[in-house]
Amino acid sequence: MSEDTIINKIKEAHQDQIESATIMRAKRLSIVVKRESFVEVAKSLRDTFGFTQPSAGGGVDYPTENRMQMIYYLMNLEHRVLLTYRVNVPRDAPKLPSLTQVWEALSFHEREAHEMFGFEFEGHPNMIPFLLPPDWRGGHPLRKDFKGEGVTA
Amino acid sequence: MTEPIIQPDLMRISWGPQHPMSGQTRILLDIDGEKVYKIIADLGFTHRGIEKILENRTFFQGVIPIERMVMADTANIGLGYITAIEEALDIQVPERAQWIRSLICEMGRINSHLYAFGLQAEATGYFPAVFLWTTTDRTPILDLFEELTGARWSYNFFLPGGVYKDLPEGFQGKIIKVVHYLRRRFQDYWDALVENAVFELRCNGLAVLKPEDAIRLGATGPVLRGSGVAMDVRRDEPYAAYGDLDFQVMTEQACDVMARTKVRFKEIGQSLNMMEQIANEIPGGEIRARTTPFMRGKEAEALSRVETARGELQIHVFTEATPNPYRVKINSPTLRNMYVFERLAELNEILMADIPVVISSIDPWYLDSDR
Repeated sequence: MSEDTIINKIKEAHQDQIESATIMRAKRLSIVVKRESFVEVAKSLRDTFGFTQPSAGGGVDYPTENRMQMIYYLMNLEHRVLLTYRVNVPRDAPKLPSLTQVWEALSFHEREAHEMFGFEFEGHPNMIPFLLPPDWRGGHPLRKDFKGEGVTA
Repeated sequence: MTEPIIQPDLMRISWGPQHPMSGQTRILLDIDGEKVYKIIADLGFTHRGIEKILENRTFFQGVIPIERMVMADTANIGLGYITAIEEALDIQVPERAQWIRSLICEMGRINSHLYAFGLQAEATGYFPAVFLWTTTDRTPILDLFEELTGARWSYNFFLPGGVYKDLPEGFQGKIIKVVHYLRRRFQDYWDALVENAVFELRCNGLAVLKPEDAIRLGATGPVLRGSGVAMDVRRDEPYAAYGDLDFQVMTEQACDVMARTKVRFKEIGQSLNMMEQIANEIPGGEIRARTTPFMRGKEAEALSRVETARGELQIHVFTEATPNPYRVKINSPTLRNMYVFERLAELNEILMADIPVVISSIDPWYLDSDR
């Protein structure tokens, strides 16, 4: 099954739930999903489309557009296709459901995105600090307007 | 780290970061007697914010900090970043440069795997001699690196568009000599370590990771191949010169610590074959495309995958019309395998004394997981 077929099938099954589905290049797919159907499409990707192996997850900050994007990297072992599964959230209220209920291995990556970008993952089982020191005075280092630890202005 | 709640009938032991086998991390073990019920990894002791650092470096400067992620395997890590940049900026790399890249990557893989055996031998507690052997036998490879790149560790030899220098005169002959020497030593290691009765008793059947669990938990590299899943980026989507090189993806069906060790052993054999093939068949031509140190990017993104010694590294680069990337996301292999390590205690019966053996079979490199 080529990348074309996979992306068309996903589009067909989730027409109203995804914002866009594109082929970045050979073996790389990209899906931007609407926030309300985020978990539902993820479950279908795992069960129907064979994206069984989670690789990672991380964010990107776009302050000029007042949004942040959370990106999950998912692997289809049968066709060896890497999918970037993206969801946009507003920058001032970056809340989204946790995908650990679908791929539990994303736990580490969501903890990292939480402290680096300030994403709030609803339903994450173990949201404790990850890479930053325990006495961290605040601030999300990978946001574009980060000025320093504990600097709020 | 705010510590998660402990079950009332268990005792919590903090292992590392000063323990000789733990590396730069702390691991919390919830135990009852000798049996480990829960493993919690406390990462972040070596967090340097490489992703943020890269945002403030030009594409050329970025090669230097990113190689600090894994010192034993700098070439593979650097190549991941560089292939992503080349894809985002549409830079074509000459064929000879691709072959030289593959040569250095395979030398780095052998270097890294030899170090891993040394630590595994050390962790099992019976073979300090093997650690000294492997450390000594890295020397001929480091000598090759020194002659080719000028540095024994952390070469900064790749750059967007190619490599810095061509092979020195007579270098091919030296590669063949080292390959022959290591093949002979390889048999010694196999006899002393893998087929050693004590090592077998210690490692056979320990920390079994079934293929479906390995996939579900996101394992990668020798950990995944040790569970019988034939997945290798070099085969799936060949980068550098791997499309032209003959090699096999090594797997083992036993899924235990021994299987992971054997996978690494067999991969060294494959890497030696590839080094020999490159020395004999390397094509001529240019070694770098025209690039400038302060070249600007364009609005683009690229997601590269390379197979490092520890597994699959993905680097996602977002560029815009500036000389530095907008965002770099590094998906490191050790972080994925550390999650598998956390879950192993729930899938298997693991004793306290086996923890160093299990963790050395994952071959973690905490500079890689913390970034």
